[in-house]
Amino acid sequence: MDILVLIKQVPDPEALVEIAAGGKSLNIEPKFATNLFDEYALEEALKIREKHGGKVKVISLGSAKAIEALRTAIAMGADEAVLIEDESFAGSDGYNTSLVLSRALEKETFDIILCGRQAIDADRGEVPQMVAQFLGLPHVGVVVKLDIADGKAVAESTLEGAREVIEVALPAIFTAQKGLNEPRIPLITGVMKAMKVQIPKLTVEDLGLAKDMAGPDGSKTKILQYLPQKKRPAVQFIAGEPQEAAIEAVRILADVERVI
Amino acid sequence: MDFALTEEQQFFKKIITDTVDRMVVPKAREIDEKDEFPWELWKDFTKLGYLGLRYPEEIGGMNADPVTAMIFYEQIARGSVGFAQSVIMNILMGTYFVYRFGSEEIKKRCLYPAMKGEKVATMCFTEDQSGSDLAATRTTAVKDGNEWVINGTKMWITNGPHADIATVLATTDPSLGAKGLNFFLVEKGTPGFSPGQIIDKLGCRGTVTGELVFDNVRIPEENLLGAELNKGVEYLAEILDEVRVMTAAMAMGIAQAAYDEGLEYARKRIAFGKTIGNYQLIRAKFADMATEMEASRLLIYSAAWKIKEKLPSRLEAGMAKMFATETCLKVVDEVTRIWGANAFANEYNPQRHFRDARFLLYGGGTHEILKDFLGRMLIGKS
Repeated sequence: MDILVLIKQVPDPEALVEIAAGGKSLNIEPKFATNLFDEYALEEALKIREKHGGKVKVISLGSAKAIEALRTAIAMGADEAVLIEDESFAGSDGYNTSLVLSRALEKETFDIILCGRQAIDADRGEVPQMVAQFLGLPHVGVVVKLDIADGKAVAESTLEGAREVIEVALPAIFTAQKGLNEPRIPLITGVMKAMKVQIPKLTVEDLGLAKDMAGPDGSKTKILQYLPQKKRPAVQFIAGEPQEAAIEAVRILADVERVI
Repeated sequence: MDFALTEEQQFFKKIITDTVDRMVVPKAREIDEKDEFPWELWKDFTKLGYLGLRYPEEIGGMNADPVTAMIFYEQIARGSVGFAQSVIMNILMGTYFVYRFGSEEIKKRCLYPAMKGEKVATMCFTEDQSGSDLAATRTTAVKDGNEWVINGTKMWITNGPHADIATVLATTDPSLGAKGLNFFLVEKGTPGFSPGQIIDKLGCRGTVTGELVFDNVRIPEENLLGAELNKGVEYLAEILDEVRVMTAAMAMGIAQAAYDEGLEYARKRIAFGKTIGNYQLIRAKFADMATEMEASRLLIYSAAWKIKEKLPSRLEAGMAKMFATETCLKVVDEVTRIWGANAFANEYNPQRHFRDARFLLYGGGTHEILKDFLGRMLIGKS
């Protein structure tokens, strides 16, 4: 069972993010982490390998700094890693990120592709579906349980108020949701391996793409401006008896704030 | 000249930082409150393999260089210094002489299990009337046939009450002073070896520290940990600098934990309509803290690098220990001022850092004696 895992290095959730003067870009404190949802994807890949054998290869598209995320994946137990790095990729949108990734994936043999349901920086959650489209593969999103047997997968996805059980023939793409597993903490033997490993890099030319197909020139969307978030309003007190106040609180959370 | 950590060291720092954040930080408060050896965390953490940090890969270690080891010591202390002290005792002082001088049989029985966390190790120097003044050691080792007989009482022993293996400093000839000192391995279960009083400490809680009693403890001849008799002080010198720089690294761990709390508070706490980080007097505190922590780390890494390169490092190791610990004391104090009265509440962390930092002043020797030692090195015997 050969499994490919797509991972992205994102700003650390605690990094300071500020809108640069002019609103055209963001100033992000240089603290990085592997996207949390991708860690669930990697953990699931490692579990599948433990059960069914095969290998786990991790692929990331990013700057040289993303090597750290790939080393972390090796430390956790991935067999191989590759970084797609080329300065022309900077500023890619979801469309050409997916295009570039799918070109890299085409060169691989695999039964399963796993990735996080979304990256926690841009939060768009669009790349896995587009990769599936480019590769002509089935896609099952927001997976919280995944069983593999006889060339098929049975996945459970979360829905509003229910879980959907889906059967799909392999190869297929799955995106990991919180609850799928608990990512392991690397053993020192893995850390030592990761410290020494040489991680190969791929460029635009290696993927047979023209320079203008990657990066902003090949993007279908364009970020016009960054606007500051609405300031969090002051604490809202709900008057009344506890039972009525609780009902009102739930109404506000569900209908006004739309967070539940 | 290159001041940067290597890519490997940077990666190691990230991994151990994440590991500590996930495993140790969430338990720190409970460890402090319970003040009991955190067995569950010990088992989970030691499974990862870090107790073999300094030892060769051939015996299951990581063969980490001293700079990498300092990164580890800082991070584990950032999580919980109470837990860190127990872990570091197994990594460094508690196993060094067993590794260096133990027979293969002893290593199989004591070192390799200690590297996996299956055995808790300790090192016993201090007595009620001796600490830095090693020559005043009163614990004796007397040869009787092919055995050594140990008698004495040790105090302030980290991991002491739970120790499976103890490296014990004892004199074979009190008339020789420091030149009569040797290290001996005593294993749990040996008749006459027992734990005594446990010390209720101000800080570094969770590391169980206490008395160990040796009452006619008979150990085999091969448990003398030294190639030659009466060279104990020379052997001790082999790790003294590393131990001092390790203490400095732990100080930075506590300082960083406190600093991070201070930073978060300064960014969120509002006074007079603005977050307090907008006020110059608060900003000045961060400028001072960050500067002195950076200077401390440069001393730590520079001394560790000298140890790695086998260059003279006695002076630099002492400077690093003293400077980093004093910096830590300032940082934990400043953070309590940034937090205001909340720092005085036991439900928040700044008070724990404030208490923990004090121990590093005395652990490994007081600064009064360290300054005297450094001054003597600098001036020479005049």
